[in-house]
Amino acid sequence: MFTVAEMLQPKNQNLRLTKYEYRLVFEKTGRAKYISHLDLMRCFQRAFKRAGIPLWYTQGFNPHAYLMFPLALSLGTDSSVEILDIALTEQLPFDELRDKMNTSMPEGLRIVSAGEPVMKHTEIVFAEYEVDFSVKGQTGDETARCFSDFLSQEKIEVEKRSKKRGANLVDIKPHINLLSISSEGEYARVSLRLPAGSEFNLNTNVVFEAFEAFFGGRIDMIYTKRTKILTRSLENFI
Amino acid sequence: MEEIRNKVEQLLLKTQKPARYIGGEHGSVVKDKSKVDVRFAFCFPDVYDVGMSHLGMKILYGLKNAVPNFWCERVFMPEKDFEALMRENDIPLYALESLDPIRDFDFIGFTLQYELSFTNVLEMLDLAGLPVYAKDRKGLMPIVVGGGPCVCNPEPIAAFFDLFILGEGEEVNLELMHLYERMKPHNPSKEEFLREAAKIEGIYVPQFYDVEYNEDGTVASITPNVPEAKPKIKKRVIPDFDHAYYPDSFVVPFTGIVHDRVVVEVLRGCIRGCRFCQAGFIYRPFREKNIDTIANETKTLCEQTGYEQVSLSSLSTSDHTKIIELLTRLSDYTDKENINLSLPSLRIDTMSKEIVDRLAAVRKSGLTFAPEAGTQRLRDVINKNITEEEIMRTCRLAFSEGYQAVKLYFMLGLPDETDEDIEGIADLAQKVVDLYYETPKNLRGKSVQVSVSCATFVPKPFTPFEFEPQATPEQIKHRQGHLLDCIKSKKIKISYHQMNVSILEGVLARGDRRLADTIYCAWKKGCTLDSWDEHFRFDLWQEAFEECHTDTAFYANRRRSYEEVAPWSHLDYLVSHEFFVRENKKAHEGKTTRNCAEGCSGCGIKKECGGVYCG
Repeated sequence: MFTVAEMLQPKNQNLRLTKYEYRLVFEKTGRAKYISHLDLMRCFQRAFKRAGIPLWYTQGFNPHAYLMFPLALSLGTDSSVEILDIALTEQLPFDELRDKMNTSMPEGLRIVSAGEPVMKHTEIVFAEYEVDFSVKGQTGDETARCFSDFLSQEKIEVEKRSKKRGANLVDIKPHINLLSISSEGEYARVSLRLPAGSEFNLNTNVVFEAFEAFFGGRIDMIYTKRTKILTRSLENFI
Repeated sequence: MEEIRNKVEQLLLKTQKPARYIGGEHGSVVKDKSKVDVRFAFCFPDVYDVGMSHLGMKILYGLKNAVPNFWCERVFMPEKDFEALMRENDIPLYALESLDPIRDFDFIGFTLQYELSFTNVLEMLDLAGLPVYAKDRKGLMPIVVGGGPCVCNPEPIAAFFDLFILGEGEEVNLELMHLYERMKPHNPSKEEFLREAAKIEGIYVPQFYDVEYNEDGTVASITPNVPEAKPKIKKRVIPDFDHAYYPDSFVVPFTGIVHDRVVVEVLRGCIRGCRFCQAGFIYRPFREKNIDTIANETKTLCEQTGYEQVSLSSLSTSDHTKIIELLTRLSDYTDKENINLSLPSLRIDTMSKEIVDRLAAVRKSGLTFAPEAGTQRLRDVINKNITEEEIMRTCRLAFSEGYQAVKLYFMLGLPDETDEDIEGIADLAQKVVDLYYETPKNLRGKSVQVSVSCATFVPKPFTPFEFEPQATPEQIKHRQGHLLDCIKSKKIKISYHQMNVSILEGVLARGDRRLADTIYCAWKKGCTLDSWDEHFRFDLWQEAFEECHTDTAFYANRRRSYEEVAPWSHLDYLVSHEFFVRENKKAHEGKTTRNCAEGCSGCGIKKECGGVYCG
């Protein structure tokens, strides 16, 4: 017969205290870009299990696999520079880890490279994006010009909600760094550098909602791609 | 595809849980269209979260896709927000693998799991851009087929379908698709195809039968009107269940679904014969899989999916003849792999200490029992052979193991039910609470919660209670009130199913062909997703009943004579009418019937069907 105390032992009795940490760079494109941040966690966890890669579990009454995305990616945004930090109970060569994982990933998710974590998550300060978008009844050129006008305003105020202060107006203008602007057919294309990370984060959808409010219309089609994750000194986050 | 995909992608960000509408999950099967001869759109007429949890779909999806030139894809009912976006943007209902519109498929198949999904079938056909009535779909394809438990009385929705598949689908689905593959190059008319299909055992083509009615509204006769249609259509059974097809791969969803785990079917059919339970009769006979088969399937699927939870599926898992050996074998594997093993559908009377120990995994959560009725007398009427003593014995064991929550499932409105039986529910719940306090403090958990959940009984076809009147709304209301009055302890929580839902179920379950227009009318008024409380519009259903002159009491609350021609009397689920009559009489005498393991009671199922205890 058990006693209550005995039953409350953690389930994974074979605790492994040594862990080996890895930083993966992965791609999230196509149908996979509609996997939410929360679901992505579960999705990777199952992919590791399928690949037979031994994830390290946190030690405690409710053990869970250690997986960490230092920077969330908005739903619907393409990227090939996403970061996932993991811990394993065994050491694996980087290429083997990548190749093994890629045999078990769903369509649209792919490990680009595996390596050792070099920087701390807090070093992420910027991210760069490439956005193609169109407005019904306008040429790409007209839309691009409209976007330039939008950025040349003195202030771009948006409502930002936070748990502490409720809704308040924030000027995002100083945070938007336009790297390039061009057009092709009905599409305008812009490259933007925006603040990212734990300190201050600005999503492209906030910028484009403000843009819609500015010209008083609706964006017809929009394709967003994250191209870089950067440190304060604009080095690639590794 | 590209066109739909582009349009859909722009809309996904405006909807809840968009991953439900774009496919691409691990395990989903994408084929080269140019090498495919027959395309099947497998529709689950409810939202993705529910449909993706359904085992039958996983089986038939794997089965059809194992044939190189067949391609089966998944289709679900969109939530209301996405449905509106689809309509606004002219996006026809599409399949999740190819993103192609399903109106161009060869087959559109619906699995009919519960009556409240009927309006969703109409909605999905309409979203696909197809006429909902079968008679208005003139071309050969798509052929709209239905399967699943509700097909044992498909009459209320017969007008919307080209054919139905009775019983187990593992063989007949392929026979049907092969027939189509052979005939398609010769450009047959739909009728030519259906006539050939009707020759296959288990296939029912409703348009080949004429239904006559008596003056009192009951069915007078159901007669075939073409030579290919048999007077009685027999359900299909897989006699060699151990070798039946089982998928070696599941589609692993991105978003959370209701049952997000590996499911392995351990047995089919049930030995028990609870008189209210349709599943207990229409899935007969009782057959089981060998332990090796189950263990292999578990391992294969855990490896393929990466799930950390596996659940055994059946109507009553503990009735497996080698249950202890099975659990030992499986938990050896799952413990090693850090996988959680869960066992729904355990019967109270067979729960031994050994099983409870095996279940003692990470946390002590809850125990669920379904005594169904509050007194032994009424449990005998419904042939639920559980005694109060057995319930108490199991609860005592569970409480001393640290369990803190007990769920008790009951039904209200059972045949021959009295106020005393209602009081019995309250008594039983109270006794369970008392039992907790009698358990020594050092063994029991911190506190106790007894949840009593009361459904309303709905008489179903192919059960001994198919002749019974359903309790009227007034009777149900009275009994619900009475139960509330009888509960004293704060440790007991009572919940009810919505009564109006049960009324609608009661009408649809034993309805006839004349209900088609009522269903159509309700759907036209906006009734869809009826099984969701937030979408269920009983007021609109009532309008539909009124406009179509549907007398709900005629279908639900009337006692039917043993001689009456039931709307489903041309369908043969292998259990004999005589058996149901015998069982009905015994119920009213309060006499129980032994289960199949104790000895055969002559239900009519033949030995050739492969039942473990038959013959």
